[in-house]
Amino acid sequence: MADEAKKKEILEKLRNGVIQYDEDTCKEAAQEALDAGLDANEAIFDGLVSGMEEVGRLFEAQEYFVPEILMCADALYAGLDILKPHCKQMDIGVKGAVVIGTVEGDVHDIGKNLVKMMFDVAGFTVYDLGRDVPLDKFVEEQLKTDSELVCLSAMMTTSMVGMPKVIEKIKEKNPNCMIMIGGAPTSKELADKWGADGYAEDASNALKEAIKMVSFLKKLRDEKAARQQ
Amino acid sequence: MNAEPLKEHLKKEGATLVGVGDVTKALTGEIVHLNRGIALAVNRSLGSETVEQLVKLQRAAEIWLKERGFRSLSIPPDSDRIKGKLIARLYKLFSHKTAATCSGLGWIGKNGLLINKRYGPKLSWATVLTNAPLKPDSPVTESLCGNCDLCVRHCPSGAVTGSIWSRREPFKKLVNYERCRSLKTNRRLFEEKPNCGLCVTICPYSRKGLSNKARSGK
Ligand code: B12
Ligand code: B12
Ligand code: SF4
Ligand code: SF4
Repeated sequence: MADEAKKKEILEKLRNGVIQYDEDTCKEAAQEALDAGLDANEAIFDGLVSGMEEVGRLFEAQEYFVPEILMCADALYAGLDILKPHCKQMDIGVKGAVVIGTVEGDVHDIGKNLVKMMFDVAGFTVYDLGRDVPLDKFVEEQLKTDSELVCLSAMMTTSMVGMPKVIEKIKEKNPNCMIMIGGAPTSKELADKWGADGYAEDASNALKEAIKMVSFLKKLRDEKAARQQ
Repeated sequence: MNAEPLKEHLKKEGATLVGVGDVTKALTGEIVHLNRGIALAVNRSLGSETVEQLVKLQRAAEIWLKERGFRSLSIPPDSDRIKGKLIARLYKLFSHKTAATCSGLGWIGKNGLLINKRYGPKLSWATVLTNAPLKPDSPVTESLCGNCDLCVRHCPSGAVTGSIWSRREPFKKLVNYERCRSLKTNRRLFEEKPNCGLCVTICPYSRKGLSNKARSGK
């Protein structure tokens, strides 16, 4: 295991690479993280993603504009490409299928992609619809794939209003499917209000929630099967 | 802000031409704050080495600007080939030829290319947008093609329409790009090099450049 000082230095370098939109630094630091035996997940979330959070603040303070934000995101992805294959595959016993996407009118997909990555490493089957996804597409894809879970992401107050519509439609067509929402403007309260089954504030909690939800669904099914026998 | 030191610096680094244009009129929302366009040209055709050289020049400009506390956005010479990057979405918002006319380095010829008085259309271009308030050069507003119609007559796909560009009507249709492109696709079946580029070589300004080497200026 890497010693604390070294680890801190590498995480800082990943973070700064994103903030200073320097792809080369991100790649270099990602490789250093692997060489030093750092946990890839930790490098991603405490390094790269923590950098993107700062970028968000700089954007709000009008220090950064759209070109900088896009370059920061490119730097984040450059590091992510190197680290992602080294995320420890988890064996968590439960496996499920998930439909995921960012709702119509919204092109923010960095957060959604991180949530997707967590599902990937946990061995879930993921159907990624991408970003700016027409609301009906979620309903169609769920029916087509018979996924246990649908995950909706929104990063804007203007786009999240599409969520209750999707939730209603899916529940109408398939009441057994579970829905989780997330993204900065959403909350546990909104999830409850809109009739979603789950909410998580970040990617690792999203996975924990998903595992709970899928286990619950499986249990329901098993009970139902037992009763019918 | 005096632009000469930057121009000198970039010429020392190997640029054939450097100009600074006020590109305000050509900007969309995402990049409105970057209202100076630094037009960079090297006197060679656009191969992979040329691209490398232009990108190196762009880096030099970025560093120069950053050291002085300014922002920049480089539009790479081969902007249409860069795939998979998020920043590439912004590249199509700005054309190198716009920066070049705004910087006074030439007009848009009947062949749709940037024609420089001294080098003709033979140059390859790259742009660095910045918010540094560099003193702009005066833009070129009219075409100097005059009665010449060599590119119209000799284009093998009949793509060059013969219309005349001016800054008042900068997007007037000059070239039927579908035709130009289809010629390339057809040729690719037979030849290694799909580029036609006849409209570059035929232009008298391409050749004038050679004999006018002694004449200084742009
Ligand atoms: C990057 C960014 C962009 C990039 C997006 C690049 C991309 N491919 O994603 C670009 C430049 C394209 C962009 C464009 C715009 N943006 Co923007 N952008 C941001 C920024 C700075 C960071 C977002 C981000 O990636 N964060 C990092 C990730 C890791 O965090 P995250 O997304 O929150 O995801 C985590 C959690 O939320 C959660 N999560 C996310 N999804 C899900 C889903 C589920 C199911 C679960 C359980 C959890 C979950 O897990 C993730 C990982 O832990 C934010 C500012 C901010 N502070 O958030 C503004 C922000 C979101 N943008 C904003 C705006 C307004 C815009 C624009 C309209 C442009 C403008 N005028 O500035 C356009 C919108 C275009 C459109 N139609 O969508 C506003 C939204 C305001 C609002 N209405 O609510 C923000 C908040 C900035 C601001 N304060 O003004 N933007
Ligand atoms: C796509 C592309 C092509 C496509 C289609 C061209 C098109 N315009 O649709 C195809 C494959 C056909 C092509 C062919 C060629 N291309 Co090409 N191509 C490009 C590329 C990548 C984008 C051009 C584009 O679509 N711009 C958007 C449109 C809207 O703008 P535009 O037509 O370029 O320019 C207009 C504006 O600049 C406007 N304008 C001028 N001044 C001002 C001022 C103001 C204020 C405003 C508002 C507007 C304005 O007038 C111009 C004409 O209408 C550029 C690189 C780049 N990023 O710019 C190279 C580029 C234009 N191509 C180049 C070259 C060399 C060629 C070829 C000679 C290649 C070859 N050897 O075959 C041929 C020539 C064909 C021809 N006669 O034009 C060079 C031109 C060099 C020069 N001296 O002009 C460029 C700049 C590449 C480079 N980095 O050097 N190309
Ligand atoms: S490149 Fe060839 S086909 Fe295209 S416009 Fe020029 S001369 Fe015509
Ligand atoms: S060949 Fe003649 S008409 Fe065509 S661009 Fe050159 S000068 Fe203009």
